[in-house]
Amino acid sequence: MAAALLLCATGLVSPLVRAQEQKFPVATKTLKNGMKVLVQSDHSIPNVALYIFYRVGSRNERPGTTGLSHFFEHMMFNGAKKYGPGDLDKVMEAHGGSNNAYTSQDVTVYQDWFPRSTMPLIFDIEADRIENLSFDPAKIKSEREVVASERRLSVDNENGGVLNEQLWATAFIAHTYQWPVVGWMSDIEHWTMEDLKHHFAMGYSPSNATMVVVGDVSSEEVFQLCEKFIEPIPAHAPPPPVTTVEPEQLGERRLVVHKEAQLPLLMIAYHVPQTKNEDFYALNILRTVLFEGESSRMYQRLVDKEQIALEVSSELPPAFDPTLAVVIAQPKQGVDPQKCEKAIYEELERAKSAAITDQELEKAKNIRLMEFYQQMRTINGRANTIGTYEVFFGDYNKLFDAAKNYGAVSKEDVQRVAKMYFGANNRTVATLLPENDGQAKQ
Amino acid sequence: MSSPRNFVRILAIVVAGLLVTAISSAQTIKIPPHEKIVLKNGLTVLLMEKHGVPIVSFAALVKSGAAADPAGQEGLASQTAELLRKGTQKRTAQQFAADLDFIGGSFEAGAGADFTTVSAEFLTKDLAKGLDLFADALLHPTFPADEVDKSLAQNLDAVRGSKDEARQVLRLYYYGYLYGGRGYGRPEDGDEISLKKINRESVVKFYEVNYAPGNTILAVAGEFNTSELRKRLEDTLGSWPAKSVTPETVPAIAAAKGKRLLMVDKPDATQTYFAIGNVETAAGDPDRVAIRVVNTIFGGRFTSMLNEALRVESGLTYGASAAFDARKQPGPFGIYTFTKNDSTVQAIDMTLEVLHKLHKDGITAEQLASAKSYIKGQFPPSIETSRELAQRIAGDEFYGLDDSEVNQLEARIDAVTLDVARQVIQKHFPEENLVFVLVGKASAIAPAVKKYADKQDTRAIAAPGFWQAADGKK
Repeated sequence: MAAALLLCATGLVSPLVRAQEQKFPVATKTLKNGMKVLVQSDHSIPNVALYIFYRVGSRNERPGTTGLSHFFEHMMFNGAKKYGPGDLDKVMEAHGGSNNAYTSQDVTVYQDWFPRSTMPLIFDIEADRIENLSFDPAKIKSEREVVASERRLSVDNENGGVLNEQLWATAFIAHTYQWPVVGWMSDIEHWTMEDLKHHFAMGYSPSNATMVVVGDVSSEEVFQLCEKFIEPIPAHAPPPPVTTVEPEQLGERRLVVHKEAQLPLLMIAYHVPQTKNEDFYALNILRTVLFEGESSRMYQRLVDKEQIALEVSSELPPAFDPTLAVVIAQPKQGVDPQKCEKAIYEELERAKSAAITDQELEKAKNIRLMEFYQQMRTINGRANTIGTYEVFFGDYNKLFDAAKNYGAVSKEDVQRVAKMYFGANNRTVATLLPENDGQAKQ
Repeated sequence: MSSPRNFVRILAIVVAGLLVTAISSAQTIKIPPHEKIVLKNGLTVLLMEKHGVPIVSFAALVKSGAAADPAGQEGLASQTAELLRKGTQKRTAQQFAADLDFIGGSFEAGAGADFTTVSAEFLTKDLAKGLDLFADALLHPTFPADEVDKSLAQNLDAVRGSKDEARQVLRLYYYGYLYGGRGYGRPEDGDEISLKKINRESVVKFYEVNYAPGNTILAVAGEFNTSELRKRLEDTLGSWPAKSVTPETVPAIAAAKGKRLLMVDKPDATQTYFAIGNVETAAGDPDRVAIRVVNTIFGGRFTSMLNEALRVESGLTYGASAAFDARKQPGPFGIYTFTKNDSTVQAIDMTLEVLHKLHKDGITAEQLASAKSYIKGQFPPSIETSRELAQRIAGDEFYGLDDSEVNQLEARIDAVTLDVARQVIQKHFPEENLVFVLVGKASAIAPAVKKYADKQDTRAIAAPGFWQAADGKK
């Protein structure tokens, strides 16, 4: 609110006020089986983005079957009752549609993009696989290989992938965020048909899902299709709650990966609260000031002035449970990662010992505002954002409050979260050291 | 931390020239109206006023790209572009960053082979400040010596770092080997050798020779008032002094004859990443829509022949695709995929079988109808944002294409018959003459892949560069 007033005082129409005015009307309906449906009409292009968020991900897994949620996501494309193996993609593409899906620690999300005329078909396909997925042993065998290839691509053959996996496995000792979404290779090799069936029964009740439809549609026609195709699918028990609470970290943890590589890599993780926590906004403002843009404190220090890193960035994934804020630095060739580490700690200390400036606070809010418009300017971005707010914040309306909530963050809030979460005892430091010492073979 | 089902066209490259399009069968898609003005100094300006989202997107194409890099100084066009914001007559690099970030703006610049792109985005309320920044970088860069050195050192490391990921560098080795290190085979961002030969003097010279209003197309799209913006542009970019530039173009290089294979040894690789193809079509090829339709069936979507065979049916890979990278001159066509070390031969054999099947059996009426519907249905979101629209109209202008690329597309897609498809397969999908590039663990796979080509080359991934012309010429 303070920022809105400040900008009004300069004689401009407040962009924050305007962001709130740009409240895209969303129609909602909860089906009898418990699935909530959100629809936002936008007729600027004759297309539709349809997302289904299931509240099941790798956090719902157990040792021995890690990666099952992700594997299951692949199986959702491999045949059901009406649309057999391979039919889903063939039929959808022949009608101008395309699809994808992703799995995270918390959710499994299915995405369809199609011309408006294809919508009834999409509902038929989605209903078929939610209700009648088939488990063909031959498909399981070949899809297992596909996922193994995916793991080699995104973990084995990518330094960031290897280090990130080790980082989470070290930072968490109790909670299920400790294993990779794609799963450990030995688990990928050993899932059974029973594991898959159990996962389907556990995670795929309509009551455990939220559907978001954005584009050239009316809410009436979407709700009608839902009543016809989705509502008859019976609900069943949701996944058992994840009750494990990660115990407080009592001291720094360090790990090293030795790998053939040209450049070293550094990741530093801090335990932070879940998305719904009130500190979410202040944490993001802090991250913006420290990491976003070439004027950010970390870029200025590590990349520009000291020239010890090529890049420095941070990540804070949406999460149901307390998660990690991760700092990633790419040291230059031959630079000791500890040099980057030291500079990062000094900048964090600076953010703790003194408040950020008014200028920095206003800049961070402007960057967040631009991000809001960039997310909301496509039907796809809007479907993803509406769904993410509904699922992770518990209410899509929080999306329209984002500008207000960022506006309410004070310099003192930012300093407080810096002190609260970015201490030495709360961090895990992962370093990848090149085995060939970074020396290029001539 | 999330894991997607498939990366859309996982190894495919940005199809810069082949800005092929389609329209929904249900509703004809038209490119939104826009106007073209040529300022007195020769700057071509395209303005597309489009309301709904309070963002303005700029895309300037300077008609000199990596093709204009002197031999041995690959990466110069790209360096020059990156340095535009790193110090101007009015601002230090730090001031530029501070002013840009303060308004939540973005500014990116880089060079492809055919042209340099300078793009930016601002909130409409900050248009005046944004345009000032954009014009400052484009017209008044000073290239401070310390910033040049800093940027060169960073890019050198970026090239080294990219070699840690086979997927990232496969294209550079493939293009390099395909073109024998000439033309489009020169790395646009340079390599470990060429970047060391670039200095402030060469950057300043590149800028002075190539950056000029008559050599630039500027497209602006988004929420603004056309007459007001036009006046603002005349006041800012109108002051850019005219000068004559003859942009250097890439030499046309003929397709490779016979078969040859490059093995790039990455000793720690657990998968082999490979590309197979040849020099093919240029942007503006009269067959471009038909090529797009056939390639959609062959390797341009999830249910393509390649992905069906290599992923869906056999589980050999996470993804297989094919792409035409059409440019001013004939650009590369490539099939791209990867597989674990011990299934390398199986995957290459299967790739060649799929290619053979395309030639032997052609495509079916059903496949043709499906691909047409797919392209039309997936097109509208590709011109949804002001950023995409600005890039699109600027690119079409550069390649001498017009609004019919969008507005006539449905008709052009519908005109592709089975007979046309047959001709396109014969003409544009190489089968006998093929270039192979493999990035992987040579000790595990090199002996087995000898059968694919009489001419074989090998190099270590850590060896500087990608593939240089033996005589060091462009």
